[in-house]
Amino acid sequence: MITIENLTKVYGPKIAIADVSFQVNRGEVLGFLGPNGAGKTTTMKILTSFMPPTSGRVTVMGHDTVKDSILSRRFIGYLPENTPLYTDMRVKTFLKFVAGVKGVKKANVPSRIKKVIADFGLEEVKDAVIATLSKGFRQRVGLAQAMINDPPVLVLDEPTIGLDPRQIYEIRQLIKDLSGTRTIILSSHILPEVSQLCDRVAIINKGKIVAIDSPQSLKARLQDHTLIVIQVGSRQEEARKIVEKIEGVLSVSSSNSRFLNIETVKDRDLRPVMAEKIVEARIPLLEIVRKEMSLEEIFMELITEEAGAGA
Amino acid sequence: MRSVYLKELTIYFSSPIFYVIACIFVCITGVFFYNSMVYVSLLTVRIAQYQVESGVNLSEILLGPIFADMSMLIVFIVPIISMRLYAEEQAQGTIELLFTYPVSDLKVLLAKYLAGMTILTCMLAITAVFMVLMLVVTSPDWGVVFTSYLGLLLMGGAILSLGIFASSLTKNQIVAAALTLGMVLCFWVVGWFAGVLPDTPTSGFLREISLVNHLSRFLKGILGVKDIVFYICFSVFFLSLSLRVLDSNRWRG
Repeated sequence: MITIENLTKVYGPKIAIADVSFQVNRGEVLGFLGPNGAGKTTTMKILTSFMPPTSGRVTVMGHDTVKDSILSRRFIGYLPENTPLYTDMRVKTFLKFVAGVKGVKKANVPSRIKKVIADFGLEEVKDAVIATLSKGFRQRVGLAQAMINDPPVLVLDEPTIGLDPRQIYEIRQLIKDLSGTRTIILSSHILPEVSQLCDRVAIINKGKIVAIDSPQSLKARLQDHTLIVIQVGSRQEEARKIVEKIEGVLSVSSSNSRFLNIETVKDRDLRPVMAEKIVEARIPLLEIVRKEMSLEEIFMELITEEAGAGA
Repeated sequence: MRSVYLKELTIYFSSPIFYVIACIFVCITGVFFYNSMVYVSLLTVRIAQYQVESGVNLSEILLGPIFADMSMLIVFIVPIISMRLYAEEQAQGTIELLFTYPVSDLKVLLAKYLAGMTILTCMLAITAVFMVLMLVVTSPDWGVVFTSYLGLLLMGGAILSLGIFASSLTKNQIVAAALTLGMVLCFWVVGWFAGVLPDTPTSGFLREISLVNHLSRFLKGILGVKDIVFYICFSVFFLSLSLRVLDSNRWRG
């Protein structure tokens, strides 16, 4: 459905995204999760043909977003960050304009407008000037314009930012209703939102995809254990037996003949005990490292932000 | 393309901008018209008094100054029409919607240009009332009226393309308007330099790129191919420059 290959975007000296590749399948809801400035918006802007990539390529339903951009754009409904709208226009006039630009057949325009007005609860504001609408209604109008031609792909950049808790709930509900046969890519820096809505999560940090997996397995990977790696030279088996006896060690595996990967409980640092025991047995300890998981850090940052925002 | 065109017109007519500038334009033209009428009436009285053999073309005396004044108003008013065309989209972020809809940049540009031309045509159309009023005194030379309006439209179109170019450069509408006015005035005063300089190829060139010099023949009732081609080329040049600017804006995000 959507293929992103070796995508790189450079703004002057600043690298916004570096060599990003992934695929999104039909009917899948993919969440971009990452702190501000990680490259979420840039990726979306390239995906929607708003800007060309510095290198790499993106195809939507087989159409290149640079060479075949008019075609690829037909398949995408896009809600940009902060929901820009023509504030001088009335809701219905605006939707009519979007339907026209997106090439909805003239005969179908009134029914499509009726449909999105009903779907997104815009009945009471359909004749209002957009400038007078609340942020929640604007967000709905933004979703309505993206959906007017019933595109197979929806790209939503921070769809719930700046809304109050009730509006956030409503918008999430609307997005849930839209998923199904439709492919949705949405970005957020709120972890619970993404795990609620998405089948798969791509965690982006500093322009790179740190991990891409289902929310459940990402969580499982993160929350259960801390990884410690030790190197003990040739007497690996002996060391292994010693380490396994230490309280708090969950499992030990050797990735190759030189390193032991030890999963331990999360809440304690077992390195001092481990080092002591190994040295006691007179096994030469060459190295003991606690693997820093950037994923975890990002998650921590995201979780704290959600708590801080009070949403 | 049609949708974008209609959208631009909707925004023009739903904001006060059109009504304000149309009002100013028509009122000031009205004052000029009144002045000319008074002048011409005095002239007719005098001609009658002294029984002068009337070789005077009243309609030329009437029309010439009115259209010349209108051309000056257009210089100031078109930048206000054009300033919002791209600057507003860039400030509000709606450019991101427009540029991700399945329509080419060129079509969007042409739709915006046509919308601006439509606004200009509407304003000029209102002044046609004065031509009809003129029938009370004398029958205007309809040929001159036609070429004058055509000339004003072509010159307005050239200024509009300058305005679109300026508007594509900035997010700020005031800056866009000021920049347009500045460029128009440059293309105006180069004509004066041409008159001062000795007759060299340079002065000839300056005379030819002046926006106003090409208008004078239209106001005399002459349809010059050279003048028509000049205005059209001028517009095409600045519209294609705008396309380049918009493309480069995309790259920079």
